[in-house]
This record gives sequence, C-alpha cells and structure tokens, in this order.
Amino acid sequence: MSALANKLMITEPDIQTPANTSDQRSQNAGLKVIVQTIREVAEGIREFTLVSADGSALPAFSGGSHIVVSMPSGTRIYRNAYSLLSPPQQRDHYRIAVRLQENSRGGSRFMHQEVKVGMALEVAWPLNLFALSRLARKQVLVAGGIGITPFMSQVQELLRQAQASQSAVLQTAGSKITPPDFELHYAYRSQDHAAYVPELQALLGDRLKCYDQSQGVTLDIRQLLAEQPLGTHVYTCGPEGMVQALLQSADELGWPPAHVHHEEFLAPPVGSPFTIKLASSQQEVQVGADQSMLEALEQAGVDAPYLCRGGACGRCELEVLSTDGTLEHHDHYLSAEEKRAGRKIMPCVSRARCDVIELNF
Amino acid sequence: MQAGYWIRSKPIYGGLQWQHKAQAHVIIASGEGGRAVLRLLQQQLPPQAIKVLYLPEAQADHSHALRHMLQDVLGLDLASALSRHDTAAALWLALDEVLTASRMGTRIYAAGDEAFLWQVAAQAALHGVLNADIMREQAASLARAVYCVHCKTISHHVNTNIATCSGCQRQLLVRDHFSRRLGAYMGLMIDAEEPGNVPDILEIYP
Amino acid sequence: MNKLDHIQAETAAFHHAPFNEETFRGDYSFHNSAKGIKRFPYPFEQDHYMYSVNIEPHQPGKPGAITEHAFDIDEHYVAECEDKRMTLEQDAGRYAALPHMMDAQWDFLELTMESLARDYPQYFSLLKDGERWTWHNSVLGISDSFIFGDASTLPMEPFEYMGRQTQGDFVLLDQREGTLFADAGFITSQADWSLAFDIGMSWHEWHGPVPQVDKMGIMDRALKFLMSLQQGKPVRRLNWTMTVNPRLDTSPEHYPEWGPDRLTVTAENAGQKAHLRVELQAMFRLPRSNAILFSIRCYLLSLEDMATQPKWIKRFHRVIRDLHPDLLEYKGIKVYHEPLLQWLAPHDDGAVLSEGAQLD
Repeated sequence: MSALANKLMITEPDIQTPANTSDQRSQNAGLKVIVQTIREVAEGIREFTLVSADGSALPAFSGGSHIVVSMPSGTRIYRNAYSLLSPPQQRDHYRIAVRLQENSRGGSRFMHQEVKVGMALEVAWPLNLFALSRLARKQVLVAGGIGITPFMSQVQELLRQAQASQSAVLQTAGSKITPPDFELHYAYRSQDHAAYVPELQALLGDRLKCYDQSQGVTLDIRQLLAEQPLGTHVYTCGPEGMVQALLQSADELGWPPAHVHHEEFLAPPVGSPFTIKLASSQQEVQVGADQSMLEALEQAGVDAPYLCRGGACGRCELEVLSTDGTLEHHDHYLSAEEKRAGRKIMPCVSRARCDVIELNF
Repeated sequence: MQAGYWIRSKPIYGGLQWQHKAQAHVIIASGEGGRAVLRLLQQQLPPQAIKVLYLPEAQADHSHALRHMLQDVLGLDLASALSRHDTAAALWLALDEVLTASRMGTRIYAAGDEAFLWQVAAQAALHGVLNADIMREQAASLARAVYCVHCKTISHHVNTNIATCSGCQRQLLVRDHFSRRLGAYMGLMIDAEEPGNVPDILEIYP
Repeated sequence: MNKLDHIQAETAAFHHAPFNEETFRGDYSFHNSAKGIKRFPYPFEQDHYMYSVNIEPHQPGKPGAITEHAFDIDEHYVAECEDKRMTLEQDAGRYAALPHMMDAQWDFLELTMESLARDYPQYFSLLKDGERWTWHNSVLGISDSFIFGDASTLPMEPFEYMGRQTQGDFVLLDQREGTLFADAGFITSQADWSLAFDIGMSWHEWHGPVPQVDKMGIMDRALKFLMSLQQGKPVRRLNWTMTVNPRLDTSPEHYPEWGPDRLTVTAENAGQKAHLRVELQAMFRLPRSNAILFSIRCYLLSLEDMATQPKWIKRFHRVIRDLHPDLLEYKGIKVYHEPLLQWLAPHDDGAVLSEGAQLD
C-alpha cells in the first residue's frame, strides 16, 4: 500500500469511498433531495438549489441533462422536467430554474408557491435528451428567454473540454483532440427577463452574445447560420417561434439535419375530458381537462411507463386499439406518418378529442 | 456471400442528385466517377457556386468532357469550377483547402469506386462532416477493398468472392460486412478449418 | 513503467486464494468448480430457442449469483486477466478508443472502480482525496495513485487500465445522429467479431451480420430502448453460442488457430471439447459522457459439466437438435452438429421439463 493511501486511511477515514457514492443499480429509486436555497433570478423565474437528503454525492451528468421533479399536491402528483444548471461535475448540489407559467396546470405554481427552503423533494436521475455532439468542430448555442437553462451546464462542459486540452492531458494519452470552439447567443425580452447574464459574462467573456429586444437588439438567425464554418453544430432552446425559425433557416441553407439540435419541452396542453379504457384490465380511467393521459393513469394507480414527460424520449409510447374521436398528437417523437396512422400515442403530452379511447395496456 | 439475410453494414448507393437547399456545392470524383458528375451536370443546375475536384485515372479520364461541360456548355468560370489533380495526394490537399474555407450548407458529393467514396468521407470527417452529410455514387466498378482480419492488410480492386490477401497470402472469403471507417469489406480465411479446401473462385464484383 | 507487467509474477502468491490455476489456451486447463457449475447462467427457458432481446433490469441477484454485483468477479478472475494480457500482447488492436471517447473512458474507470471496491472489499479498494484517487487491486498486486480526469497520471488510458482488471469485454457507445456508435472497445474474449474492423460502426452496421433478427425489427426496438436508457437503471440480457475448447479469444483475427478445432469434435470427446458459451450482457448509461457501456461477460461450461444437471443437458439436446440452420451456421456449430447430437442424445430421455432455466 502506498504511503499516500496509508496517510489517507489513518488521518481522514471519512473520505474513503465507496460509502459515499450513488450505486448505479439503485433501481427505480429516485433521488431524495432537500431544497437548500431559493432565489429570484429574473422576473417570474425562481432558482432552486437542491442537496441530497442523506449527504451522499449526487450523480454526475452530462451537459444538457434534466431531472424530473415529483411534486405531491393534494391527491395529485405533478412531475415536471427541469434542466440542470449546475456544473456537471459538481456532485454536492443540483440547481434548477422554474418560470411561473401563465395558465400553469400546477407544476410551476407548486414550485413557486409551495416549495420552501428545507423541504424534501424526490427527483429522478439525470437524463440527457439534448447532448452535445462530440464530433463537432464548432458549437453554436442559441437560447431564447428561459431556454437558457439547458445551456448553463453545456457551457460548463465545453469550458472543461477547452481547459483539459490546454493542460495537454489528452495528448499524453495518445489521443490528441482539439476541443470545439463554441459561442452562446442569448436573446431575451429585456434585462428583467434575462436570467444569469452576469454569471455567463464572467464565465464566457467574448463567447457570449446577448440580444436585448427591449433595446432593439435582435438576433438574425439566418445570418448567424449562414456564416458558420463546416462541421458546426447548432443547438437551440427557447420559444417555439424562435426554435421553428432556426429549424427553417437551417433547412433552407442546407444544413444536414444531424447538425441541428433543439430542445422543446412541452407542458401537456389542456383539452376536453375523456375516458381511457385499458384492454388488459378493462379498467376505465377518466382524464380531466387539465390533466395529461399519463397523469390520469398514474392517479388511477396504473403503472404506466414514462421517462422525459415532455414528448421527446418515446418511452411512454402506447398502442391505440380504437377511439370514437381523433388523436391530438403533441409529441416530437412519433413521425408524421405514425401520427397520421393513429396507432400510437405518447400519453405524457398527447390526448384525444373523443369520448373513449382504448389502449393496449 | 450470406444468402439468407441482408447485412445492414453493406452500403447501398444511389445516383447523384443536386441538393437544392444549399449555400455551395463541392463534388469530388475519380476516374469513372467523372461520368457520374457529367450526369449530375445534365440536371437543372442549382444557383449556388459549384466546385468539381477531379482525379482522372489511366483508363478513365473524363477531364476534357468535364471542362467542356462546365465552361463551354454551362458557361461557368473554369478556374473556380474545376480543379483537376494528377495524384491522390494533390486531390486530398486541394479538398482540405476547399473544406477549410467552406461554410455549413456546403453540399458534398462523391463519385468513384467504393474505396474512393470512403476516402472522401475520411478526409471530410476531419472537418466535422458526418457520413450521412455526403451524397455518393458508386461509379462503374463493383470492385471491393478487402480488409484481412488476420494481418490487417487491405487488398484493393478485388473482383472475386474469394481473394488472396496481398499481405499474408491467405485465401480470404470476402464477406458483405463493410467498415465505413476502413472503406473495406471483411476478409476471413476461408480454409482455416480444412486447409486447402477452397471453393470455386468466382468473379462477381466486376 | 507499465505496472501491469508484474501481474504474472505477483499473482503467483495468490494461488491459494479462491482463484483457479488454469488456462484458456494451450493445455486448456480451464475448469469450473461444483459451485461454478451451479451458478452458471443457463439461458434456455424452453426446449426451443428463439432469438429475443429479453432485456431485464440489471438488479442485484441472490447472494452468490452471477448477477449479485454489477460486475461479477469469480474463480476465473486471475486466469482471465492473464489471458487478456497475453491477447493484448499479441495484438494491441483488441483495445481501441476513438479520441472523442475520453470522457466515457473516465466514466468507465469510475463505474468499475466504485463497483469493485464496494462489492469486493476483500480484493479491491478505492480512496478518494478530491480528484486524487488511489486504487488497490490486491489480487493482481496493483496499486496506483492518479488524478481523476488526467490520463497522463495513469500508466495507460483509463479504459484500458480497468479493462485489464475487470472480467469481460467492454464496448463504449456514443449516442448521436439518432443511433449508437461503437466508438471504443476492450475486446479480448469476443465471440467471433472484430473490434479493429467494427470500431466506429453504428448500431445497425455493427449488428449487420446477425441473421434472423432484422426482419423482426428486434434491433430497431432494442436501439430505441437503449437510446432512452437511464443512469441508475442498468439492464442486462443473456446471449449464447458454442465454443470448441474453453477458449476466450475466439476472435476472427485468430480464427486460423481456433477454427480447425471445430473439426476435432467427435461423438466421444464432445463432452470435454464442446462448451456452451453464455454472455451476460449488461448496459449502463454513463454519467459525464452520456455514453452507454456495453459489458459482455463470458461464462463457459463443458457439456460434461452441464450433464451433472439433468434438466440442463436434456433441454440443451432439444435446443441444438431443432436450431434453425441459419443460426447453426452463424454460431459455427454446423460443422460438428452431428457428433454433438450423438453425444447429447443419450443424455435425453425425452422427459417433460419444467419451464424456466432454474434447476429443479
């Protein structure tokens, strides 16, 4: 045993591992966290710092990851996905930011009004549906408003890659790789609506470009995309109009689809009430107007699969056997063809305009 | 050949077609690939800049036709539209320069034999171009590059189902399993179990 | 200095430990203890084999089971690590990592070190002082201090370092372009596939040569599933093939060496020569890289040892007898199918067997 190890064991037994790490196989168990601080980071946007309830290290994650927070409110449990803002390698806390949604179905209202410092919450392990490409020569990040959140951890990851290559570590390992250049374009309505600008400025310097619409500074997305060198990847998150404008410009300019990444998290839209009939158990479940199909199934005690709850990952897909109405697909997962065919539905965000829909579950 | 099932690593090539949503077009061709480029140039021309990089081969040199087509028929400025190279090394150097100066939205096309198509992919990958970003046409020959899994040598221009490895002289069964990174099919010693028991050698990749 | 060079010398002292003195080549002295036979992951639940993805959560199994821990260390640990060393010495191409996989390499090192130290504290320990980590492998006599994240502080790349000290083969898959790419691998006991050839391939390219699965959409569904695999929820499945002689390195690279062995199987020696080879494949989402670790842990069982469990050998006879010709070819059984059946048939009285792979 080396002298160093000896020293550690004798003088600092508490830093021994692995007692202090999260077991990859703690199946299905969410992470129990405590709200450590709450602060307002912009108008209507509140930031929560979460630490693990038992003091163990939280799982590391990759830039762009989110967690699903469970919010028990009366008889209902809301589960909303929020991007992780903290640096991915920081394992003593997580940070998330929540904007109070107008017409909130409950999730963001719960976070803003009912969550207090010291309160215990359960969150799922981090999941990444918005990962950075590792083959990019340049990364262009485009954020609009609250859409800044997934980029908070991505810029940390990109900075770490840049620093690692400066320290020449990778070269000695025989696999020299040049980290990609990157820049963050951040558009917002006004300073009051813009979270994290000073923090990002300190972190990124010239790599940050801000567009304050109240000052008449607008981002010309088409121009931005037109001048990027070959091998660039673009990532965008923000209001739907901005995301659509970027996707359209990229398509018209001839960007191959694999270079264009976007994250659009959907809150399940409201609609009319209807009934789900489950083929296997013949159980009938009522879906309220302001409830998602998935939430209704969960409330009825049905153990339906889910992962992102934002219509992106595909895990909750269910087979539609019949309906007396029409399906209202809201997800980004099914292809246009699959949506037309009407045989599959993503109950986390989609619903039906009907009296009864029968699912093969 | 594996008759009973389709090996999905085997690429399937179509013909070149203009990608009209673009900022520019870069076309890389060798030998008989020049004919594929001429076919492409017969399609309605896109408005953006076009650049053809061409490596003629002894048996297949379409430089004259390309020059006539680009300059005399289409009226393009030959200096910017065509660069002809005598060696592969010169071609790759020129491609490197072109791609370095290129922006996203530059559409990339390749035409030539299969090994050439994947050399283009390897060169372009250095610029962050993904395999799926390139349009390809396999021109003329179905000849295969074959990677010997035993000695790691790649034998070129293989026309037969079984080929002698140019590195270790083993008789290799040319499988349909294809590596895009190597630009080659897997070659596996065919008579390892029974030395000398080699089936008929058939020319099936002319 | 390459500290692993000392493995052979230092392990001599451990042969009294619960590790077999055995080889996977040459004299093939590999053997299973009675305990080793009982914990063998027999894969056949029914008398007829159909390819399926059969993925289940990689949850801790019963004490002593091969699934008790995330990475199983068994009586073959020392011999398998030595076999890995020899294979890499002959062909360095069995380990390869594309440059963009460095984060995934560290994820792998962390996952294996934390798992082994937690699950086998009698053999392994890991101490952390911030980013300075100290790893002890008392079985192989390895002890290193290094900076986590700084590959220059290890004797070799992190993936290779722990790949040499953990039983099984490992592939790191990068997730992008709507699929998974096999962009790094440590492959010394593969069932006839070549890392040097396959590295960098997408999911469908990599699985291209598997017959009978494409038309069923199995690979598409498995890919969809893996793409949404979550950290903290690893999954596993069993796969199987057969190997003549207890050889780990059944690579296409060395096919000329082991291929001819298939012709040496007779109705008399099949019991000793023919081995059922079962892979416990486990898949983990890795934290920093968002890559997936695909671990392939190989278990070998001779037919003679299998025959100590009547249910297993009877069912195996039926499976092999009725296997689809494409699969016989793919699994390399075709050339000795006849002597194999001649050896197996007398062990099968045709009795009705209970469903499931468990011993009665």
